[in-house]
Amino acid sequence: MRIRQPLIIASGVLLLSSMISAQAGTKPTPGQSLSVSISSASADHLLNGGPAAWNQIAVKRVALNRTPPLYDTDEPATLEIPSVDVRIVRAGGKLLVQLNWRDPTHDAVTLTDVPNTPPETRFRKVQTEANDRFFDAAAVMFPAKPGLDAIAPSLQMGDAEHPVDIYYWNATRGAMLMQAQGRGTTHRNAQSFPVNSTYQNGQWNVIFELPDLPSGTTVAFAVWNGSQKDRDGRKYFSIWQVLE
Amino acid sequence: MSRHQYAMVMDLNKCLGCQTCTIACKKLWTDRDGTGYMYWNNVETRPGLGYPRQWDRIGGGWKDGSLQPSPLPTMDDYGHAWEYNYEQRLYEGKKQPVMPSPEPKSGCNWDEDVGGMNEDENYFFYLPRICNHCTHPACLEACPRKAIYKREEDGIVVIDQDRCQGYRYCIKACPYKKIYFNEVTGKSEKCIFCYPRLEKGQVNACAAQCPGRLRFVGLLDDPESPVHKLVLIHKIALPLFPEKGTQPNVFYVPPFNPPKRENYGKSIQEDPRVPLDYLIYLFGPEVEDVIVRLEAELKKTQEGGRSEALQLLIGRDAETRFHVRPQLVQIQL
Repeated sequence: MRIRQPLIIASGVLLLSSMISAQAGTKPTPGQSLSVSISSASADHLLNGGPAAWNQIAVKRVALNRTPPLYDTDEPATLEIPSVDVRIVRAGGKLLVQLNWRDPTHDAVTLTDVPNTPPETRFRKVQTEANDRFFDAAAVMFPAKPGLDAIAPSLQMGDAEHPVDIYYWNATRGAMLMQAQGRGTTHRNAQSFPVNSTYQNGQWNVIFELPDLPSGTTVAFAVWNGSQKDRDGRKYFSIWQVLE
Repeated sequence: MSRHQYAMVMDLNKCLGCQTCTIACKKLWTDRDGTGYMYWNNVETRPGLGYPRQWDRIGGGWKDGSLQPSPLPTMDDYGHAWEYNYEQRLYEGKKQPVMPSPEPKSGCNWDEDVGGMNEDENYFFYLPRICNHCTHPACLEACPRKAIYKREEDGIVVIDQDRCQGYRYCIKACPYKKIYFNEVTGKSEKCIFCYPRLEKGQVNACAAQCPGRLRFVGLLDDPESPVHKLVLIHKIALPLFPEKGTQPNVFYVPPFNPPKRENYGKSIQEDPRVPLDYLIYLFGPEVEDVIVRLEAELKKTQEGGRSEALQLLIGRDAETRFHVRPQLVQIQL
């Protein structure tokens, strides 16, 4: 049986080289550094204060790669989102990460709230409205033990020796925290985290509130495009970046 | 391979299309939020569109060891669940008639009894369907989360709701389209072969409720079980679309001899009411041997002899039809 093609077969030379450089055991190059601004504003102001709160924060355009087809049955997908603009600021003991990317298709819905009463006691149940839609999403990944690891974890959701934390936001289902120790091990714990998202003029702007991370920590970003049927490893990803 | 394998045999000659099995299943398992459109057990008219529409033609399964591509069926293919405005009519005094909403445009067994034409004669039969709990499940292989597993003790295929992330690769991979996405929970669901009932010595709800007594349940590897006898000894039951490569553990006794006009049908090779080609489409070329075998058994009884196979198919009581072995499914944690 073979359903999972080796990643390297389908990937282009550029992607291949970036993935190899991102394997566990390598140190990111200086070109992958991300400057971290310091702000005296509160974390809440940066999270909810609108664009003005971020005026002075340096931006870096981070290239995104498209994962190669992971399964024989995957439809091919083109690189529609080539990059994500990243702003990072340390404020009030938190690290705020703003991701900004262009996505002409707004793949988000408001699902009907499920009442707290048991379904058998209700006249009507909440119904599945569609079964073939996927939603825009983004995530920030970093080592679960930042500062302690001298080397970056595997870009594929960490590895056994280098677990990762993933702060995942979904345009429909909201924010959730995940942990992983390698591909296929991603585990959602029940926790959420503060996030603020807006979609305007074909542009997503999502602000993640992370715990403060020491400089030298590696972080990586991922973006999912719902209309490209993105979910799981079918997504856009950056290579590891280093917080200055 | 699991140590044991639960299996079901359905005798299509006896199915009335009454949907009692469908309702038994629905009341027990899919009367929850997000599950209105789901029928883990459904009965569809054949030939026909099926549920979801064209499920038998859109893909999935195995070919040469590789999973085959398939689109996801849409809600129009399944049919949106509809509700009736009982509140307005019964409690709020509105004079309007009781109407379904949204307006039904497709659904489970939407083309009931339409069937097909064989020369100038109409024909149809009913095909009840549940998850096939395959020996080689494409859904299990397709899941990147390893959320689907085949129970070692009895071969039942289930989805771990804690591991499932609703990616729906399993739905695409299943050639029978017997996995359903619940958008409310964000996870996929399927027939669980009523394992909580089996573990208590009770047979599956669909089989227990079937007025036509056409369902037989037991372990395929248990020589005492009716499914073992029908599939492996008498060899009169076949899986659906064997070429999909998943090795289903639900088997069907094909409709073999409905008469066209007279009291008794002639041989399918002589004057078939249901075209043999269509049965071959559903059950593979082996169906012809099965029908010849069934016709020989029938002839034997018509000439005053006794047929063990037909006696079993009559399925007079639950003891004959069901052979549940709860002691085999104790899970050691």
